[in-house]
Amino acid sequence: MKILAHSYVCPKGTYLNGNRLFDTSEEENPLKSAYQQLGVEYPKFYKMDVLSKMAFIGTELLLPFFPKGADLENDLQLIFANSSASQNTDNLFVESYEQIKNPSPSLFVYTLPNIVTGELCIRHKWYGENCFFVEDAFNPAHFSDWAQMGLNKGNNSCLCAWVEAKTNGEQECFLFLLTNSERDEHSIELELSTLIKQYRNE
Amino acid sequence: MHKPVYISHLSLVTPLGNTVEQHFDGFKNGISGIKIIEKGGFQDTNIPLAKRTEITSNRYDTLLREALEKAQLKFTGLSGKTAVIVSSTKGNIDLLPGDTFAGTQPIIHEFFPKTDTFIISNACVSGVIAINTAADYLLAGKYDHVVVIGIDAVSEFVSYGFQSLFALSNETCKPFDKSRNGTVLGEGCGIVLVTIEKPSDFAVLYKGGSSSNDANHISGPSRTGEGLVRSIEKTFKRSGLTASKIDFVSAHGTATVFNDEMESIAFGRTNLDHVPLNSMKGYFGHTLGAAGVLETIMSIVSMEKNILFPNLGFKETGTSVPLNIIQRIESKELTTVLKTASGFGGGNASLILQKQS
Repeated sequence: MKILAHSYVCPKGTYLNGNRLFDTSEEENPLKSAYQQLGVEYPKFYKMDVLSKMAFIGTELLLPFFPKGADLENDLQLIFANSSASQNTDNLFVESYEQIKNPSPSLFVYTLPNIVTGELCIRHKWYGENCFFVEDAFNPAHFSDWAQMGLNKGNNSCLCAWVEAKTNGEQECFLFLLTNSERDEHSIELELSTLIKQYRNE
Repeated sequence: MHKPVYISHLSLVTPLGNTVEQHFDGFKNGISGIKIIEKGGFQDTNIPLAKRTEITSNRYDTLLREALEKAQLKFTGLSGKTAVIVSSTKGNIDLLPGDTFAGTQPIIHEFFPKTDTFIISNACVSGVIAINTAADYLLAGKYDHVVVIGIDAVSEFVSYGFQSLFALSNETCKPFDKSRNGTVLGEGCGIVLVTIEKPSDFAVLYKGGSSSNDANHISGPSRTGEGLVRSIEKTFKRSGLTASKIDFVSAHGTATVFNDEMESIAFGRTNLDHVPLNSMKGYFGHTLGAAGVLETIMSIVSMEKNILFPNLGFKETGTSVPLNIIQRIESKELTTVLKTASGFGGGNASLILQKQS
């Protein structure tokens, strides 16, 4: 297994393969600014929750690195995880019925973490496998296992993400694209844990 | 062909009872867990729910512990490495604004100490994906046994949400019926054992499974059934089976107008429209993250007893592709069964079970 490319989106900035592309640390609305700098026309972006917005931006950047000639429409697996599921939007939805006395359907539809993968599949016409895990913290060994299991089943590649929007305002989306390598390379666990540390310390 | 993976049921707790035997009796007698619950909906409206009324507080934890106690009694004498996978859309939603999933692992560890525990939250297809993932873990040699727990509790959060989407029926759940007008929410906890060691209890083989996305809409089903078709086809391919081998389909069938219509189109496109089929939502309501596990358990019971259970609530064809909806209890030798699920986020999933020859 090998890492084809990786990206990181957080309020401070947007990064691709370790390089900062957009500095949004001074922006009032960092994700909106990153989206505008991306230069992609996708008005649905504005309706999305924070998880989907971050994953949208990070995925657009990875597109040039997807394996050429593969049947990505069917054989790309999405494996996403975080620790707080959709808690952020959950609380907004509770507010809509407890305080505003009007349960908001547009908030309710984002009260599931896997809406993120749904948004990406719609955007890119991906019909392949999806799975969303809830875990205490980013666990590179688990991602490595899940991706290997996905590739074993015949998927061509796996788009993985740790995508988190906590109620305390912490937000990050670490995306990485994995595929089988011809040589049985070293484990990717160490590489992943180094990468996320570097991104978090940027 | 991969090494054999077995699946057997460990426990089942819903409004219909807290043993698999009680559920078998309930299904045989056409009993529904759905009742009108006074003030169950937004602004104290009365809505139908399949709610375990014995539970008056802490619903999620209580359901989980009740099912785990029963499962633990049957989970004996196995050697090797075990993991637990929990499938739930909302976890313990009553803990909001706090962390809804944080309390799950400590409860699992009361019954399965120090056991690796994973949580899958992938809307209404979580349960089927959790069983598929359990099999993947076994086939990768990571574990010898995986206990899969499907659970969701009734909550005002989810009821109000479905009401806001106008997705709830005001009477009962009538999957695939002409007069269906929405789903009914339910709650429950079901536990299965997925293992490489042949269980002493009745068990069936897990032949293969897959998931897919509609790539169409985050909350509405595809009009063409595209995602479900692709998942079924992938599952056939992985299992080395075709539609002609399927004896029974345990469908998702939420009883919303659009979902059931979508499923009928997908079953037509995959040549499954003549295969006896039911949705179990008329008994359980829609139990979200638990649904796939609950319905797999009752599919295993069907296979064990060679009985087709009726699709409770169905009277008249109400989909553009007519399906072979089971209308009365029937004896039939059931060798190979397809389970499907579809849900929010455009997700679909399926798996195939087969009786050992």
